[in-house]
Amino acid sequence: MIRTSGTALLVIASLWAWAVFEAPVDAMQGSIQKILYVHVPCAIGAYLGFLTTALCGALYLRSSDARYDRAAISAAEVGVVFCSLNIASGPIWARGTWGHWWTWDPRLTVTLLLWFVYLAYLLLRAFTDGSERSARFAAVYGLLGAAAIPLNYFAIQLFGGAAMHPENLRRGSLGEGMGLPFALGMVAAAAAFLHLLLLRIDLEGRRAELARALADARDQ
Amino acid sequence: MNAFLAVLWKDLLCEWRSRDRLVAMLVFSALVVVVFHFALPGGAGAQTRANAPGLLWVATVFAALLGLGRAFAIELENDALAGLALAPVERGWIFLGKWAANVVILALVQGVPSLVFAIVFEVDLLPVLWPFAGISLLGSVGLCAIGTLAAAVAVRTRFRELLLPLLVLPLLWPVLSGAVRGTAELLEAGSLSFEPVQLLLVTDATYLILSFLTFEYVLDE
Repeated sequence: MIRTSGTALLVIASLWAWAVFEAPVDAMQGSIQKILYVHVPCAIGAYLGFLTTALCGALYLRSSDARYDRAAISAAEVGVVFCSLNIASGPIWARGTWGHWWTWDPRLTVTLLLWFVYLAYLLLRAFTDGSERSARFAAVYGLLGAAAIPLNYFAIQLFGGAAMHPENLRRGSLGEGMGLPFALGMVAAAAAFLHLLLLRIDLEGRRAELARALADARDQ
Repeated sequence: MNAFLAVLWKDLLCEWRSRDRLVAMLVFSALVVVVFHFALPGGAGAQTRANAPGLLWVATVFAALLGLGRAFAIELENDALAGLALAPVERGWIFLGKWAANVVILALVQGVPSLVFAIVFEVDLLPVLWPFAGISLLGSVGLCAIGTLAAAVAVRTRFRELLLPLLVLPLLWPVLSGAVRGTAELLEAGSLSFEPVQLLLVTDATYLILSFLTFEYVLDE
């Protein structure tokens, strides 16, 4: 399964790289606009990670099956990686087009807060003794983090604010020839997310196996 | 329901007898306002008055974090936390009891930074006292919902004082944005629109229901 997802990722990422290279240069922003093909897919990877974490956390609380917990921690870590890339690529683009590294644009603020939520999630896991307790606490916090996402967007909707990001991806908001690399970027991000998630779950499984073997050896 | 009232009564009685949490929070919140005065060289200028709602809520959140940390730490003595966990009642009611006690204590504390603010930064709170109290209460409800659950989690971890603010602060944005906006409207226009109240009601309800349901998994022996 990991090999299949790795091969798929290689093919899609190559296609995506080619499409980004071939994509037209934006008349207003120049080549810096091509960050779009990295920036938005990374956000997709981040949200996929955080929603998977909440979902697997909820399933863990229901069933106490450690496999769900391993998926939850893996998805949180992969989500943080994507979210970090999203937050890092944003200011580079913003400096080139808006003239500032950072603005307190609502969408930016919410993504930054989300990044902090999942950093806290990882810290919580690191600071809790006992794998079962750490899994339980993290699952609860993951659920709260996921609940904060719609609440944050509700706050933005109510109060508005100086939004620099487009409200949604309306049909036709991308220039001619930009749709394909954008769409391929989304697919590549999803494939990268899946591949990294599978690798990380596999690692977590091996760790659990090692811990079990060590415990058995100690008992004998 | 009985468990809710019992825990609420127990917490308030403990607080009344020792008063250590209340006093510490009161002194701390007044101190934060004084620190703001040093940090903002403008004194009671128009700029400071414009920022007053945000600063006031920062003082409240800091004081709340101080008190919330103690909410479950006191249960560690004599292993009272295990007693709570073993009580044959729905654990959600225990959460609500703890939460309500925190809201009452925070509501008592909030008066002090508000008063100090009104005096030091020349903010006129008297004409909008009741709606201001309402917004403060709505803000505290959400703040304590997240805070009580996070405190129950943090108390069972290493570095619990360190972890509590890290867990609470990133989730607070919807509560704070509603509370600060509501306070700002009251101080500037003297009236309150429905949007901040709506946001606070939705956020409070979401966080309360979620905490009520998940507290069962947080409290352990």
